[in-house]
Amino acid sequence: MVQDYKKDRSVIGVYHISKKYGDQLALDDVSITVANGEFVFLVGPSGAGKSTLLRMIYMEEQPTDGQVVVGSFVSTQIRRKDIPYLRRKIGVVFQDFKLLDDRDVFENVAIAMRVCGAKSFEIKRKVTSVVNQVGLLHKRKDLPNKLSGGEQQRVAIARALVNSPAVLLADEPTGNLDPVVTEEILRLLFKINSGGTAVLMTTHDHELVKNFGPRVIHLCDGKLQEDTKTGLVGNLNDRLDTIQLERDRLKRIGARPYR
Amino acid sequence: MFYRLKYLTNEAFRTIQRHKGVASMSIVIMSLSLLMLAVFLLATDNLLKVIGQAQQEMKVYVYLDDSVDADGIQKLHHDLFSSPEVESVVFIPRDEALAEFRTRLTEEDAELLNALQTNPLPNSFWMTLKGEHRDHATLVNVAGRISQIAGVEEVRYGKDFIDKFSRIIRGIYYVDIVVGLIVILSALFIISNAVRLTVISRKRNIEILKLVGATNRFITVPFIIEGAFQGGVAAVFSLLLLFAITVASRRVVPELTFFSAEKSGIYLITCVVIGSLGSFAALRRYLKV
Repeated sequence: MVQDYKKDRSVIGVYHISKKYGDQLALDDVSITVANGEFVFLVGPSGAGKSTLLRMIYMEEQPTDGQVVVGSFVSTQIRRKDIPYLRRKIGVVFQDFKLLDDRDVFENVAIAMRVCGAKSFEIKRKVTSVVNQVGLLHKRKDLPNKLSGGEQQRVAIARALVNSPAVLLADEPTGNLDPVVTEEILRLLFKINSGGTAVLMTTHDHELVKNFGPRVIHLCDGKLQEDTKTGLVGNLNDRLDTIQLERDRLKRIGARPYR
Repeated sequence: MFYRLKYLTNEAFRTIQRHKGVASMSIVIMSLSLLMLAVFLLATDNLLKVIGQAQQEMKVYVYLDDSVDADGIQKLHHDLFSSPEVESVVFIPRDEALAEFRTRLTEEDAELLNALQTNPLPNSFWMTLKGEHRDHATLVNVAGRISQIAGVEEVRYGKDFIDKFSRIIRGIYYVDIVVGLIVILSALFIISNAVRLTVISRKRNIEILKLVGATNRFITVPFIIEGAFQGGVAAVFSLLLLFAITVASRRVVPELTFFSAEKSGIYLITCVVIGSLGSFAALRRYLKV
């Protein structure tokens, strides 16, 4: 079924998508919309399908069923060669930063503009401003391996922002960072959000969401469990079970559970 | 568009600079496998030259009946020259033939020849065939035809030698083709592996470029330029090495010749094309770009 996405004020529309890998059902009839300028947490244990959902949104993969709408791009109609143009409209940030380790901070941010064919004076102006915004102007000539994890993530965020996207996707952006730096990165994301950019951030850290979360979407086993905006609440027992399962898993692999 | 191409070209050379280790390693590998190919090509080139020269020596001797007069000779000359396979026809008068024969004799034998009052040698024509007709079958065919002409006493063409020679040439061709295939395939295999390693070592960078919205062209163009550059440099290296080898080998085989400027040019261009196509194919195959 095709939604009337033109009337929709949302920047991301995910409509009844399912994703199967062989017999494995990674996502099961998930629907989410993210409005312009909204900040959304996507929470769930590892393997809940958070990253898969994000991959559908930046169209690295196609859903088995349903459709994803981002701006004017529709997953069921998009051609392979249009995907780069979609990527320029959204910023993506990852747990492992994904920086080019052979280029300095400036070039890592500039590359997002270079792929669009921007002029060099434009690049210089915009990159300098964005690098300044994330507080790394004094390190613009450093290579990524000279930076701390938090600084590397700031570079990745600057790169995601440099084309002024309508939405920023962040896949566990604080997954590799300690609590203090995590908070710094979150504040930076909130600051960006207050400038009008929608942010969709995944995390498995419930505590984080409790402290900061405006709208929270809870995903478990590929199913939507709760959305604090639409008021959808799944089976509460299921949710508690999930949290308990995640605690057990963390204990098993020797990680410290939530602070 | 121009600005874009300039950036992408710069990007290709910057990448080579950043990854000096990988780049020089793959240039070395490419140079050596191209050298292997170039040695084979030069050997074939020389071989063909030698065969060509040997075939140049393939002459058909047409001995004439003594009864043919000057007009008849003129007419025969014209007839022989008018067959399409013939490249040249030279008339050798019997006196000239005798003088030539004399120079090949020792003094003692020459005196013996003087004892003869008359010239025992006939008038003759020496014919050469055009390059493409210098094979055994045509020779037999032409000789047969000529021997039917009135006034022709005998036709000779060193039958035994040519029979053996053309069999040897055919053998050499077969061996050359088989060796050539092996050499070309192994050179391509080695080069494609080197290119594959380069591409895989950049896999992460390419994925990042795709994430920030690079088009396939943005990703592939620097690679193709890089591959062309590496192919060209490797070609120059392999030619220089081959030249050194040729000069050194001249002590043993002084007749050895190097590629002509034209052939060197074709070789260089081919290597540039192999380099760029190799990069492109590797990107397609391993990264689905």
